[in-house]
Amino acid sequence: MSQLLDIDGLTLELHDGTRLLDGISLSVAPGETVGLVGESGSGKSLTARTVLGLVPERSRLGGRVRLDGREVIGAPARDILDLRRHAAAMIFQDPRAGINPMRTIGDHLTETLRRCEGKSAAEARARAIELLADVQLPRPEEHFDQYPHEFSGGMLQRVMIAGALTSSPKLLICDEPTTALDVTTQAEIVRVLVELRERRGMGMLFITHDLNLAASLCDRVVVMSRGRIEESGDARRVFTAPEADYTRRLIEATPSIAVRSLDGGVEPDASSRADASGRMDASALAGPMLEVRGLDKQYQLRGRPPVHAVVEAELEIPRGGSLGVVGESGSGKSTLARLIVGLEAADRGEVRVAGRERGAAPHGRAERLAHAKSVQMVFQDPYLSLDPRIPAGRAIQDVLRLHGGLDRAAAEARALELLEAVGLGERHLAARPKTLSGGQRQRVAIARALAIEPDLLVMDEATSALDVSVQAQVLDLVARLREERGLTVLFISHDLGVVRRVCERAVVMRRGEIVEQGPSDRLLREPEHPYTRLLVDSVPRPSWEVAA
Amino acid sequence: MALDSRTVSVAAREAAAEAPRRGRWSAAGVRRVAGKLGGLALTLFLASLLVFFSRFLVPGDPVSFLLRGRKPSPEAVAQVTAQYGLDLPPWQQYLNWLGGALTGDFGRSLQYRQDVSTVIGERLPVTLMLVVMSGLLIAIVGLSAGVVAALNKGRPLDRLTLIGLTVLSAIPSFVGSIVLIAIFAVQLGWFPTFGSGQGFGDMVYHLVLPSIALAIVFVVLVGKVTRSSMVEQLGREHVEVATSRGLKRATVIRRHVFRNALGPILTVSGVLVAGLLVASTIVEAAFGLAGIGSLLVQSVDRLDFPVVQAIVMLVVTAFVVVNAIVDLAEPWIDPRSAAGASAR
Repeated sequence: MSQLLDIDGLTLELHDGTRLLDGISLSVAPGETVGLVGESGSGKSLTARTVLGLVPERSRLGGRVRLDGREVIGAPARDILDLRRHAAAMIFQDPRAGINPMRTIGDHLTETLRRCEGKSAAEARARAIELLADVQLPRPEEHFDQYPHEFSGGMLQRVMIAGALTSSPKLLICDEPTTALDVTTQAEIVRVLVELRERRGMGMLFITHDLNLAASLCDRVVVMSRGRIEESGDARRVFTAPEADYTRRLIEATPSIAVRSLDGGVEPDASSRADASGRMDASALAGPMLEVRGLDKQYQLRGRPPVHAVVEAELEIPRGGSLGVVGESGSGKSTLARLIVGLEAADRGEVRVAGRERGAAPHGRAERLAHAKSVQMVFQDPYLSLDPRIPAGRAIQDVLRLHGGLDRAAAEARALELLEAVGLGERHLAARPKTLSGGQRQRVAIARALAIEPDLLVMDEATSALDVSVQAQVLDLVARLREERGLTVLFISHDLGVVRRVCERAVVMRRGEIVEQGPSDRLLREPEHPYTRLLVDSVPRPSWEVAA
Repeated sequence: MALDSRTVSVAAREAAAEAPRRGRWSAAGVRRVAGKLGGLALTLFLASLLVFFSRFLVPGDPVSFLLRGRKPSPEAVAQVTAQYGLDLPPWQQYLNWLGGALTGDFGRSLQYRQDVSTVIGERLPVTLMLVVMSGLLIAIVGLSAGVVAALNKGRPLDRLTLIGLTVLSAIPSFVGSIVLIAIFAVQLGWFPTFGSGQGFGDMVYHLVLPSIALAIVFVVLVGKVTRSSMVEQLGREHVEVATSRGLKRATVIRRHVFRNALGPILTVSGVLVAGLLVASTIVEAAFGLAGIGSLLVQSVDRLDFPVVQAIVMLVVTAFVVVNAIVDLAEPWIDPRSAAGASAR
């Protein structure tokens, strides 16, 4: 069978000699879906871009890339344009960044038809509306003249897919097309893609970091790491019986929502650990560590209806317990965290930490310090939450000296202890954030938050920006710290698998309301509220498990 | 509510997406324009207060200037005072002045013994022509320099352009004027050294060197803003998407890069108008042009209050109006600003 895409021994070097791709070989047949998985920096995006001739300036390419029977590497600009117009199209990760915000949806869709195919405006419009209907966007005519900012992320990604289809490509390259979307939206987009693939018989090269997604969608997968291929083969074989070490580690690190029945407790989940620690810790009887009663917050917007971000929230975490807050973007989970930490004032309701009321904004230095000491927060993006000019050690020492009144030597010793507790060492004391990896930075952020031994640690999407293997390290760290220090954790995440791994109990939020709460395993196994069920069902599962 | 603008914008977006509506003349749009015009009127009113009453803070008495060289008899003083309305209380003088100004009557010039509007009217064409020619030069040279540099970012042509712009930015307009006169007027004899000429063609010819001298600093400004704005847009993902769809590079640059880079350039242009009018005083003096700028300098020198007030009001009005236009054009440049969306 002739291949649609045939990459053989592809190498790519930047002008300074850095080798980003090393001996990549893969192929896609018509109608076949090939997954390209790996962590950030593995070169999977770059490989896909090379197919369309989108390579960094002044880079050197080697090997062969044949698309639809024609060689891409070294092809003249005219041929590259022709390949982009007729052979292959690409869907990008973030539709909000990928669609020009200053032009209408209609312009985005008809641009190539009008400028490259020479179609009239009316013809192009008719075709575009047809494609919008194909990607199941409701009322396409009415959306034609709207601007991207008026659309939700899921709607925009449909527009992006429709835009890629204008050229009726034989190969569709999808670069993390659902990563920027909520899980329920992801499920809808994946449905659209699968349907289009079947109807048009397109080949698909599907890039993702999400192994579950790849397993649910792909016939074959290629696992990449650091610009090399680690393993490739039939999807089921690779995921169930991985040969390469790297693949095995990746699969182990990936949190899953699949609740194993009694016999197969492969993954140590939080619930079983909690039972043990619950018995061990008698002080759990001394009242909850965090108590939230009737917490309510509305945002008044000028000229728009008010947004009810948090509605009458009620929750409780026992001492040493951990609670997950799950929800999609706009569900109010971050607002809830900010209200609990005190970064914003609630309209109504009360928050008690260790029995003490956390009132409005603190007055005076002493009150402010006490306020900060009881609750600490770890933020989503460790690249933004650490000051780039301050070395890791000093970031921690500053907190210690502010709160503990330690002298320089004592603070230094304690900072080192803390760094060691989060798996870093002496050589990281003087390291600036720039020289640390994402996982190391998040460890520093956690060490900084733990430095003053807060009653409650709030983690707001603290692992979402990290690769799965790094995420696994951070999650293990949190589990260990909970065991060793009896830390109480409020863990906010959009990822059900992660929440299950960290928290024995969870609440599900939707449009500001807590729709369901209970033990995380129970929520996943027997969701009661329809929305919880929708969330659970939206998480991709390997195709062979669904079939079984 | 920094973080939670996400929550808010998601909710707002869903609401907007469910009810598609179009039309630039929505109620909110009309309110916005009305608000801008109201703000414009208020700014001009406050400026008029400042301009008029600052005369009472400046040392010097207009009457003694009018009667200069004569022995002022009390009767003569009283007569002149009454003739120019200087015997009235300040607020009444202001109202008279404001009423006149609204109809284009700024009173009589003390030095020329003519209506201020006539004095200014004679000199306005030169300055306008100078500013327009400079503006064209700035647009053409500044934009091209910025675009060329951005498209060759990091390459020798980019460095060369940047170095050129930096060198130009170090040349004050009076130095530029003198150098231009010395080379092109005196040495080479290509252009006249002095005056603004008769008739349209001659005026353009006379104003070539002055408009270059005036443009230098602003070319640098526009060039650098254009470059950085273009460079920022070039790195955007939607540019890559457009490229991946098979559009020609020129089309991508025009429709997606340059178009999106216009916002900051337009904002700078608004500020630039006032700068041009102010800097024209220096250039007009250097080239001996009888324009508004030289008139302002001369009138300040001779305590010719009505003329000074009129010119300052004129400059303020030009500045405020141009910036209001820039503001009102923003939804056309960036549709997000009309919706008040904060995410860029």
